[in-house]
Amino acid sequence: MKKYLNITVICIGFLLLSTACDEEFLNKTDPTVLVSDNFYQTEKQVIQAVNGVYGQLRSWHLSQWQYTEFISDNTTLHFNQGDRGQGPSLEALEFWQYNPATGNITNLYNSTYGIMVNANTTLSKLPESNATDAIKMRSEGELKMIRAYLYFHLVQHFGDVIIITEPVKSPAEAFEYNRSPVETVYQQIISDLNFAVGALPASHGSDDVGRVTKGAALSLLGKVYLTRKNYSGAIEALNQVTGLGYGLLQKYEDIFDPQKKNHQESIWDIQYQGDNQIGVNSNFIYTFAPRESVGAVIDFPGQDGGGWNTPTNEIIALYEEGDLRKEVSLKEGYTNLQGVYVGVPYINKFNHPHTIRGVTNDNWPVIRYADVLLMLAEAINEVDGPTGTAYGYLNEIRDRAGLEPVNGLGKDAFREVLLNERRIELAFENHRWFDLKRTKTASELVTMLNSYGLRERANPTTSREGIPFSNNDFIFEAFEILFPIPQDQMRINSSLVQNPGY
Amino acid sequence: MRKCYDSVQIKLRMLITVLLIMVVMVGYSRQASQISGKVVSVEDNELLPGVSILVKGTSRGTVTNMDGEFSVQAASGDVLTVSFIGFTTQEVNVNGGQTTYEILLESSMGDLGEVVVVGYGSQRKADITSAISVINMDNVGEVPTTNVTRLLQGQAAGVQVRQNSGRPGEEMEVTIRGIGSLGAGSQPLYVVDGFPIGTSLGQSLNPADVESMTVLKDAASTAIYGARGSNGVILITTKSAKEGTVNLDFVANQGIQNIPDGRRTKMMNGTEFAQFKNDSFVDRIRYYEKREPALEEIPLEFRFPNQNTISTDWFDEILNQNAKFQNYNVTLSSGKGGIRSLVSVGYINQEGAVIETGFERFNVRANIGGKINDFISMGWNIAASRSNEDYASTNGRSALIGRALWADPRYPVYNEDGSFNDYIGGTNGVFGTANVVQELHEMERTLTENNLLTNGFLEFTFLKDFKFRTSVNAILDNSDQKEFRPSTLAGTGFNQAPPREASLYQRRNETLNIAADQLLSYSKILGRHKVDGLLGFSAQEETFKYLQGNGNEFPNDQVTYLSAAIRQTSTSGEADWSLMAYFARANYSFNDRYLFSASFRREGSSRFGSDNKWGNFPAFSAGWRISEESFMPETPWITDLKIRGSFGITGNNAIGNYSSLSNMGISNYVLGNSIANGQILSNFANSNLGWEQSQQTDIGLDWAMFDNRLSLTAEYYNRLTNNMLLSVEMPVISGFTQSLDNVGQVRNRGLELALDYRTKFNQLNIRSNVNLTINRNEVLEIRGENDEIWAGGFYSTYSVSQVGRPLAMFHGFEMVGIFDTDAEIEAWPNQDGAVPGTYKYLDTNGDGVISYDQQDMIEIGNPHPDYVLGYTLGGDFKNFDFNLMFTGAFNYDVFRQIEGSTMNMDGVFNILQSGVNRWRSAENPGDGRGATSNTWKWQRESNSRYVYDATHVWLRNITLGYTIPKNPIVPNARVFFSAENPFLFTSYIGTNPEARTRGGINIGVDDESYPMPRTFTLGASLRF
Repeated sequence: MKKYLNITVICIGFLLLSTACDEEFLNKTDPTVLVSDNFYQTEKQVIQAVNGVYGQLRSWHLSQWQYTEFISDNTTLHFNQGDRGQGPSLEALEFWQYNPATGNITNLYNSTYGIMVNANTTLSKLPESNATDAIKMRSEGELKMIRAYLYFHLVQHFGDVIIITEPVKSPAEAFEYNRSPVETVYQQIISDLNFAVGALPASHGSDDVGRVTKGAALSLLGKVYLTRKNYSGAIEALNQVTGLGYGLLQKYEDIFDPQKKNHQESIWDIQYQGDNQIGVNSNFIYTFAPRESVGAVIDFPGQDGGGWNTPTNEIIALYEEGDLRKEVSLKEGYTNLQGVYVGVPYINKFNHPHTIRGVTNDNWPVIRYADVLLMLAEAINEVDGPTGTAYGYLNEIRDRAGLEPVNGLGKDAFREVLLNERRIELAFENHRWFDLKRTKTASELVTMLNSYGLRERANPTTSREGIPFSNNDFIFEAFEILFPIPQDQMRINSSLVQNPGY
Repeated sequence: MRKCYDSVQIKLRMLITVLLIMVVMVGYSRQASQISGKVVSVEDNELLPGVSILVKGTSRGTVTNMDGEFSVQAASGDVLTVSFIGFTTQEVNVNGGQTTYEILLESSMGDLGEVVVVGYGSQRKADITSAISVINMDNVGEVPTTNVTRLLQGQAAGVQVRQNSGRPGEEMEVTIRGIGSLGAGSQPLYVVDGFPIGTSLGQSLNPADVESMTVLKDAASTAIYGARGSNGVILITTKSAKEGTVNLDFVANQGIQNIPDGRRTKMMNGTEFAQFKNDSFVDRIRYYEKREPALEEIPLEFRFPNQNTISTDWFDEILNQNAKFQNYNVTLSSGKGGIRSLVSVGYINQEGAVIETGFERFNVRANIGGKINDFISMGWNIAASRSNEDYASTNGRSALIGRALWADPRYPVYNEDGSFNDYIGGTNGVFGTANVVQELHEMERTLTENNLLTNGFLEFTFLKDFKFRTSVNAILDNSDQKEFRPSTLAGTGFNQAPPREASLYQRRNETLNIAADQLLSYSKILGRHKVDGLLGFSAQEETFKYLQGNGNEFPNDQVTYLSAAIRQTSTSGEADWSLMAYFARANYSFNDRYLFSASFRREGSSRFGSDNKWGNFPAFSAGWRISEESFMPETPWITDLKIRGSFGITGNNAIGNYSSLSNMGISNYVLGNSIANGQILSNFANSNLGWEQSQQTDIGLDWAMFDNRLSLTAEYYNRLTNNMLLSVEMPVISGFTQSLDNVGQVRNRGLELALDYRTKFNQLNIRSNVNLTINRNEVLEIRGENDEIWAGGFYSTYSVSQVGRPLAMFHGFEMVGIFDTDAEIEAWPNQDGAVPGTYKYLDTNGDGVISYDQQDMIEIGNPHPDYVLGYTLGGDFKNFDFNLMFTGAFNYDVFRQIEGSTMNMDGVFNILQSGVNRWRSAENPGDGRGATSNTWKWQRESNSRYVYDATHVWLRNITLGYTIPKNPIVPNARVFFSAENPFLFTSYIGTNPEARTRGGINIGVDDESYPMPRTFTLGASLRF
């Protein structure tokens, strides 16, 4: 009997110690998603990875107005005594009260690098994927174009920035990167864009409309050169765009009409879709509509807007008599449901009927042909003064707006007129802050913004219901031309050096 | 995976087969004969009825009759185990020939012979060398509760049980020996009848079914649970039939619950609020325009505050006073014969202290078990419950309680026609909100949960000293949640007047958790050597699935199902985890004096990175029963004295299921006007992710004096948590701001004291237990030297963990007073936006600016109590008995969030009543605590003004009982009265000093949770 017992003990021991299937039993992956290690292999996955980057740009653009229009003299806010939550974050941008702890600057910085990692990861995995060469080429072009676009934003907002073009393998690796000089950043941008110009097609098949094109890459390259004051480079790039079949629409309002998306004038639009709850919609009017409009601006019962990005008295006054663009771009007030007129202005470009509350169908124009024409005029003026070609481009825009052509200006006067024309033509399309930085010196900008600030303090566009401004509101100092590197990033990586002034 | 799972099952089946064969081979029996005798108490020489007599190693046994006599079948060489509550268990050898025995039992309060449930087994209390607290159920009292966690409250040193809110059915928050982790969870592991069910006990276990609870505190006792042992383990044993008895028990308990005045947050009434609004207009014009306002400048609705006729106390309106509590339990148990069984049925119904809320549950439990023959014993347990809860989202400013507090009091609940006034506030800067009473009545919010738990074991005894036990456990849990918000209600945000779009949320969850354990144990006494050994294998797997639907826009508010919704979206998902472990334990004692124990567990978890799936968890302990030594003098001071020490390593895997992997997330786009699927990285992969480990050292002393009348247990522990599973910040250029990593170190060290005293004055028996916990927590390392972890926010408070400080300390501005004049502001470091009446803050970094960010924030409070106390006083006199239980926590802080929300005086919310004493001018500066209404800047931000000392003592429960004298119909009957949470002694002005509204390490924030009722019940228990 003892023998059997020994066998039993051995059997138990064997069963206890056998580990044949342990690893399998312990390998669990989330069944609802794919694991990145196994991704980026097939052509479909590569395309999905590129689409994912576009998807991030879609949500990124929902807040870009804060850093480009709101911060500038184009728009302000309808002060909300009750909602102080946005005080140190969003209002800090409007009143130039930002500091390294400002949440919305952190958001901008973080979300931009959050897109970059997907562009970089996909780029690094592309060569080993099974995608066709054509798709590899197109994808590389798209990702580099997008990467250049993001660095262009970063360098304009923050100055020297960290250039990262590959995914990091460990957290420790991320500490090894430091800020590169502005010049190097631009080299990176131009190199990416030159690649994109060569790799991207002039247009895509109907299923792929919305992807970036050669025209978009050239236009962006033109804008980068213009910013670098390389006017001949800008002219060369932008002249190529004029040969690609783009043209101005006859009616200014059609540019923004969701029923006429991706038209002849659009070079690069961020694509949104409404009328469903998939989550690829825009919602700009919900942010921009007056805060107490209660269904009078957005046609849903009781619906208020955010009261942000409110056109200033100044830009409203700038519209010339008879400018057809004014009614399309903004409204000076609305009639509430009780029939009373309320003089709170709002941006109207992205205000179109839609079926689901909070879900709009409006695309966001990043680059449109009018922008290209005005950039060309600007570059030509800088090189040769206001030539006939330059006037031609400018007056083409004015003509559509129902305005008389301008003529007979000197170079400096032409530059001023052009800047104003850009301000009106491209109003609220996220150009103003960069246009100011490009065309003004630091001291000009300080003078200009502070005088605007004084006027706005003295006579605010919208009522503050007796609440005075804070002492430091609307005081602009030269160092504020660049945003601070977010406090969290400075703390995490002590080798980073902050922008001066912060 | 399936294949593997099968293979575990195959292993199990093979094992059982092998063992069955073996059992048959060794099966034989000996000749037994009838023996009889009586049991007598040594102390007073009285015969003892009801004493349990068991032939050791068999299922045969009996109980002495009313005259203390017994008879039982036993063979020569058998050993009789004679046990009785309050007496030392004796073992009596049966000699051939001797058929009558007189057995003398010695009284032993705090019996050392008592057997204590430990991880994967049980142990004689005297032999234990680790830190274990046994909950004495007698000390708990007749607690009207729905949740078993309540039974732990105040009962054991080192175990802190917090009641965060008064929500019916709520599980309390249990922490053993401090918060050991910054990133992973800090909840203990709950093990019910040997089945590790997780770090939450849930709502399915009926407190009436609990027989005993043991808390494992040090690593020596918890390391056998490996990766889940770090935060302590709570072992719960459910009731089974008592040997030799057949009982039918019926317990009924009914009562009412009320919110006492002291547990209500006082807000301004309608007139006070109108006066406040009036004053704020006046003050603003006086300060900013330096003139007296004209009457017409004040909005009409505030112009004549004294003419205000409506004053609604919204909080009072949502209270359900005299809410009913009822609880019934019936238990039938049969302990006669070899197989014992028990069936219990319970029903509990607790109305909420807030209207239209409540919790109800049905429980059934059945178990059967015992010896099949001398070699095989088995047990099977099946328990099912169904609970229904009508809930409301109650915690926090934007939830129900918060809104009941800040809603404009100048509006009535009902319109003149009796219908609900559906929009409250929304004028002149006061936020508009839904009518909370209407919301509670008209919203449909239900949560139904079905829980089925079953476990069973088969145990084989062989080779005399060996046992093999195989067990399987399974829990199937289904829940169904539904929330329908009708169109008649105002929106959930601010200023969203009705009607709104109706919305529906419906979700079904299913969790299946299966575990199998194989245990081989050995136990042998060889002269003065006593050896126990255990070898085990355990595997567990959990699968969670859900299906969720959302509907928006309903044609009417009557049909509240997804099919009626005009727009529907749905989602589903699944998540799993698994673990597998091998473990061993050996206990050795020599001469009952020198005790040693060692255990080891090797465990693999699916939650960790591919490079680090397996962890090793060893533990050692030793004890010395000095009182057994011959050199110790015989003195009443020392009945028993043991010193012991232990060291071990445990783990923590409470990090979520797939944290080591980088998953793809969805980021869709629109191409060609149709949806194009897009995929992006959703997190940073860390394949090195491994175990968070705790090293714990424990030194303990168990000292019983005066014949066990007084006993003391003292412990010192030092628990170091290493390689914390922490979301660590990294440069965002990596694409992510954080990644989960093993970094840092936290230490919890402390002292625990438990003192138990029992005495007798004539017929009055008194027992008293006090337990004291002193825990000190310190972050020793994060990643870098100056690294800090910030949780919370600028407008609430920051919980900051810094190296060298306890974790989660409150950080904010240091408020040193209120500015009285412009000159005072001018003289102070630049505090932009300050006006007279603004809080005055310290420029802590001395740069001349109080900057509107975190730079000048310093430590303003400590949420960790210096010490925590539990005290029980109980006793009986003739037929009367009583039990009082107190808990207390001393010298710690709470951040009172509602002050930040309402005391900034911006008047968008109703204001705390104390706001009537705010600053209005230098001549009328108020109580020095309320700011001016001329600005809100600097009054919402985290600051020391809103930090309160929350030292408190709760009288948690009073139970008074009367045992009805024996009568032929009901042999045992008792009636009792119980008062739950009757008195709170504290200087804290909030409603609950234990409130912890925020999760994670954002601890100690009181953001107005579900109010805590005081419950009075009357009950009776009958035993047939």
